[in-house]
Amino acid sequence: MRWVIGLIAAVAVLIALPLVVESAFAIDICIRILLFSFIGVAWNLMGGYAKQLSLGHAAYFGLGAYTSTILQINYDISPWIGMVAGGCVAMLASLPIGWLCFRLRGPYFTIATIATAQALMLIFLKFRDFAWGAEGTTIPNLGNAPLMMQFEEKAGYYYVVLGLLALALAINYKIEKSWMGYYLVAIGEDEDAAEAVGINAPRIKRDIYLISSFLTALAGTFYVQYIYFIDPATAFSFNVSIEAALVSIVGGIGTLWGPVIGTVLLETTSALLQSWLGSGIGGIQLTIYSLILMAVILWRPTGIMGYFYELAARRRARLVKA
Amino acid sequence: MADALVIKKLNKRFGGLRAVQDVSFTVRENETLALIGPNGAGKTTAFNLIMGFHRPDEGSVTAFGTEIVGMRPYQVCAQGLARTFQVAKPFGGMTVLDNVMTGAFLHYRNPEEARDKAREVIEFVGLSARESTAARDITTIDQRRLEMARALATQPKILLLDEVMAGLNPSEVDQAVALIDKLSGSGLTIVIVEHLMRAIMAVSKHIVVLDHGQKIAEGNPKDVMANPEVIRAYLGSYAHSPNGGVA
Ligand SMILES: Nc1ncnc2c1ncn2[C@@H]1O[C@H](COP(=O)(O)OP(=O)(O)OP(=O)(O)O)[C@@H](O)[C@H]1O
Ligand SMILES: [Mg+2]
Repeated sequence: MRWVIGLIAAVAVLIALPLVVESAFAIDICIRILLFSFIGVAWNLMGGYAKQLSLGHAAYFGLGAYTSTILQINYDISPWIGMVAGGCVAMLASLPIGWLCFRLRGPYFTIATIATAQALMLIFLKFRDFAWGAEGTTIPNLGNAPLMMQFEEKAGYYYVVLGLLALALAINYKIEKSWMGYYLVAIGEDEDAAEAVGINAPRIKRDIYLISSFLTALAGTFYVQYIYFIDPATAFSFNVSIEAALVSIVGGIGTLWGPVIGTVLLETTSALLQSWLGSGIGGIQLTIYSLILMAVILWRPTGIMGYFYELAARRRARLVKA
Repeated sequence: MADALVIKKLNKRFGGLRAVQDVSFTVRENETLALIGPNGAGKTTAFNLIMGFHRPDEGSVTAFGTEIVGMRPYQVCAQGLARTFQVAKPFGGMTVLDNVMTGAFLHYRNPEEARDKAREVIEFVGLSARESTAARDITTIDQRRLEMARALATQPKILLLDEVMAGLNPSEVDQAVALIDKLSGSGLTIVIVEHLMRAIMAVSKHIVVLDHGQKIAEGNPKDVMANPEVIRAYLGSYAHSPNGGVA
């Protein structure tokens, strides 16, 4: 019961936040945190629970971004519809990509996923006629047009991405509690042992890849709507793939809240460092960021959520003894 | 009684090594068959071939009349076969209960039902006290119990046990023998790989002996033990083993 009350309170605070906070800079940071939490949760379903370490989720981020933008600019279709369409395109793309990459295991799988995202970027660099090639394009600003996913106030975007994150967390929660969640963790732990107890590992991996890439594509649509610009380097940026994995690893892979906690930590640190140190002393900000990252990975390989779980387990053990 | 598992002319080469050569045998329904042989004889490989972890070069395996060669392990499992791994493969980060639940999900998709079924088998193998411990934190002996529980949770008709008694002390061996008797009593067909003759004699009336990948003898324990080929195979590689060899 206590955690339900806590959750309701947290949701209330999150909804009220843009009404209270006036600084556009602060709202922008909040939006980034929510967005990367969302991408992290999408990544974590496959990369965390099933330990299929993809570093190519930018492929789906980019496909989502391009699908909705092409539909909007060339066919006047609302990005809301484009967003779902982008998710479907991403799911379709994940089938052959997964078919190829899942033949490989461990680091080879990871490298293959990187390659697919890079290959897609190259394809979009080439297609000048329908996807604007390397220059990319700005997305026409329609003023306040919620039906076209455009808002005058940043608060509008804030609520959209908050909704996306809530959706992803709900899906994650549902999966974690069901047989699917157990199967994913089993596959991540030992694929042979998983198959021995009747788990159709290739199918489960395919299915979770579908869900993970669908959600990642939604993030892509949202992001280009938010920045009013798209080009292959932005849409298929390797940074997206890295962030998705990093926030989950720092926060705790294979846990519901891990990616959220990881993002809050990494994004706030990075934002604070940027405002304190500025971009003048080039590199120092990145250095400190990397040091924090290494510290977490060295001392808490199970991430911050892993640390909480350990504490809880120790407390339970003490209670049992007492 | 009907045939549960029929193995015909099974062959597997690893490079130049013939790990399993023309091996044929039949396990009848509700029988406990012991598969024995010196180290490297091909016992585990035979299990891997049956369960679909390796594809045989030649030969056929039928379970209750269905050809299972060419199936993937999860499909073989769905046919009612389950195995333990000689080197335990627990899902280390999961609790003992969650490990066994992954097996139970094969027939019970509802987590509550799966949890109940899992608890039953955990109790059966005597792991209840470890239920909420992470599988990587229990002893290797308990991990072997876990292997059995997880396999049993899939409710198999045929159970393949690969050296589940290795390293047990005499009273633990007695417990394990009692457990296998109980399983057999409930109608399960069992193939057991074991080095400990005392245990084999206690659970099995039918023995198949492998050596260098070939079947060198088959029959009831007494005849098999008196077979000169068997004695030679064991004397060759086994006389100084910690279990004291054949006798
Ligand atoms: N995947 C593999 N690749 C190459 N060789 C293998 C493989 N698996 C087993 N072998 C070889 O096949 C032979 C039979 O091995 P297997 O593990 O089946 O023996 P075993 O009868 O189970 O022995 P033990 O009693 O030691 O468990 C051995 O020589 C082994 O080295
Ligand atoms: Mg073996």
